[in-house]
Amino acid sequence: MTKLTGMVSALALTFGLATSASAETSMGIVVKIGGIPWFNAMEDGITRRAEELGVTAEMIGPVSADPALQVQAIEDLIAKGVDVIGVVPNDEAALEPVLQKARDAGIIVISHEGPGLENVDWNFELASAEGFGEAHAKLLSDKTPEGGTYAVYVGSLTVPLHNAWADAAIAWMAENRPDLEIVGDRYGVAENVDDSRSTALDLIAANPDLKGFLAFGSQGPIGAGRAVEERRKTGEIHVMGPFSPGQGRKMIHSGVLTGGFMWNPAQAGEVFVTLGDMLVRGETLESGMDVPGLGVIEPDADARDIITDNLLEINASTVDDLAEKGL
Amino acid sequence: MSDTRRLPGLKGFKHLKTGGPAGENLSLLVMLVLLVVVFAIASPRFLTGANLGSMGFQMPLLGLLTLAMLAPILSGGLNLAIVYTANISGLTLAWTLMQFGGPEAGIPAFILGCALAVIVGALAGAVMGGVVAYVGAHPILVSLAMMIFLRGLGEFLTRGGDISGFPDHMHTLGHGSVMGIPVPLILFAVIALGWHVLLRRTPHGFSVYMTGSNLKAAEYAGLNAKRTLVLIYTLSGVLCAIAGILMAARFSSVRVGHGEAMLLITVLACFLGGIDPFGGHGRVAPVILALVILQVLSSGLNLVGANQHLSTAVWGLFLIAVMVLRSGQIQRYIGLLSRKDT
Repeated sequence: MTKLTGMVSALALTFGLATSASAETSMGIVVKIGGIPWFNAMEDGITRRAEELGVTAEMIGPVSADPALQVQAIEDLIAKGVDVIGVVPNDEAALEPVLQKARDAGIIVISHEGPGLENVDWNFELASAEGFGEAHAKLLSDKTPEGGTYAVYVGSLTVPLHNAWADAAIAWMAENRPDLEIVGDRYGVAENVDDSRSTALDLIAANPDLKGFLAFGSQGPIGAGRAVEERRKTGEIHVMGPFSPGQGRKMIHSGVLTGGFMWNPAQAGEVFVTLGDMLVRGETLESGMDVPGLGVIEPDADARDIITDNLLEINASTVDDLAEKGL
Repeated sequence: MSDTRRLPGLKGFKHLKTGGPAGENLSLLVMLVLLVVVFAIASPRFLTGANLGSMGFQMPLLGLLTLAMLAPILSGGLNLAIVYTANISGLTLAWTLMQFGGPEAGIPAFILGCALAVIVGALAGAVMGGVVAYVGAHPILVSLAMMIFLRGLGEFLTRGGDISGFPDHMHTLGHGSVMGIPVPLILFAVIALGWHVLLRRTPHGFSVYMTGSNLKAAEYAGLNAKRTLVLIYTLSGVLCAIAGILMAARFSSVRVGHGEAMLLITVLACFLGGIDPFGGHGRVAPVILALVILQVLSSGLNLVGANQHLSTAVWGLFLIAVMVLRSGQIQRYIGLLSRKDT
């Protein structure tokens, strides 16, 4: 028993010191899963911004991406009596009852990547589907001054977000660059490196005037890039799309990959704290306001959505920093 | 936990072998009190109604699943399919409610849905029990196969999405309180009591323990061990179904995979509660104490703002600590016993 007592008191000492006074604004942000680079970066953002504003904010990252664990974490936060609960949902529907409970208890609820949630004060996004697709289309247009053809990848034909990006990109290209034509329809291969590579090899062989790949899906740019490298078409065929900076770092530096866009999880973490602090102080969000981290906002008051385009470009000068952060 | 206090309770070897139920409860109770004191000091909010209520809402789901795991372990097996059985049962309820208009579905529709859910859960359990008993396959393999089957079936039927939009009266089941006591907790208390009575006070319960200790001996002694196994897995399936119904009410939505993370925690709770991993020994009460301890640890660490991964690490440490503690007790018992014999 003494061993046990020792252990418990050691625990008490460790955590007893961590508790703080409850007079100031306190926030708890529940993310999809803890311990992965994306949400570690978000936690950094949360901590940094909380220090700047002089509020208490903690991030809770469940040990697995199970909505049941998110519900429990939110219930604990309600019991703790925080002023603001932030959430990046695993499953929107499963969180509605507990978020309603939180709002009934007078807690402000903010979500990120949860556009369908109803029981929230505000949901914010750092990238709109149109903005994200168009940014990639513009990049392609900049890199290929002369006409030709280009191919579009999506992760899978049933991924709604990827297809929304592709729709926006194709529409922008059709309007602004009629001389650059799309090859076939979009290809649902971008969640697999090998499929992306072999499809790219076929496309390069079949279309001598191919100028670029728009690959939406994390493995698409990598696979297409490898095909371009194998065919020694570096510089002639441009590959762009969102991908993991750590994975694509070398290919960016060798010029096989042109680049792409992502949004910054650390910035999302900061925005959680900024918005929470504003709402606790009773400020209302209005069209045209300049919110740090979001820029000038145009909130959709009916859907409770704030959608902005705060894209982070992945290119030769930014990729190393992003990769260092483990993204 | 001094020896003098224990001595009067020692009546013979059989009593010792069943683990000294009072002692089992006591050591867990001491641990629980310690934890509560520690967290109450660490966070002024720990002993508030809000936090206790929050724990009362969280524990029953894990509790029901743990009870569903408990009985198969007592019979010398394991049921790895508990979470997916719960999911499939929840889907049955959700599907029934959808047939009666989703949010507009009345209480009768809900009752029908629950009945169907329980039937589905029982069926899944009965199939597992049947294969374990009559084919003689290992319960781990059988329940693993059932788990994969149910998961695949559920994902096929829902295409991985969720069903949501339930009537308001279900909200009461998942989030309501009666005289300040959370409804899920009341449900859990009633079922746990029933489970305790079933295992300790009925012939069926007796035969579960005997089958768990030694299947062959139980058969030679004239117990219908095969029927016992089928029945125990069926009842385990029924409990999963109830957990599935509660899960649907708590989340207002059903999806295959909700609650996946709880599977191994139920095993942890069983072993923390002194259930013999090889079957035949263990009681409901210490397991419930173990559940309370896990919940106190989880909510307490959340309250003081500790990392979630740390709290799972602490759970693991506790399991190890408990095992060390127990082995010490066992050695002492053996020492006492040999002294008595000589």
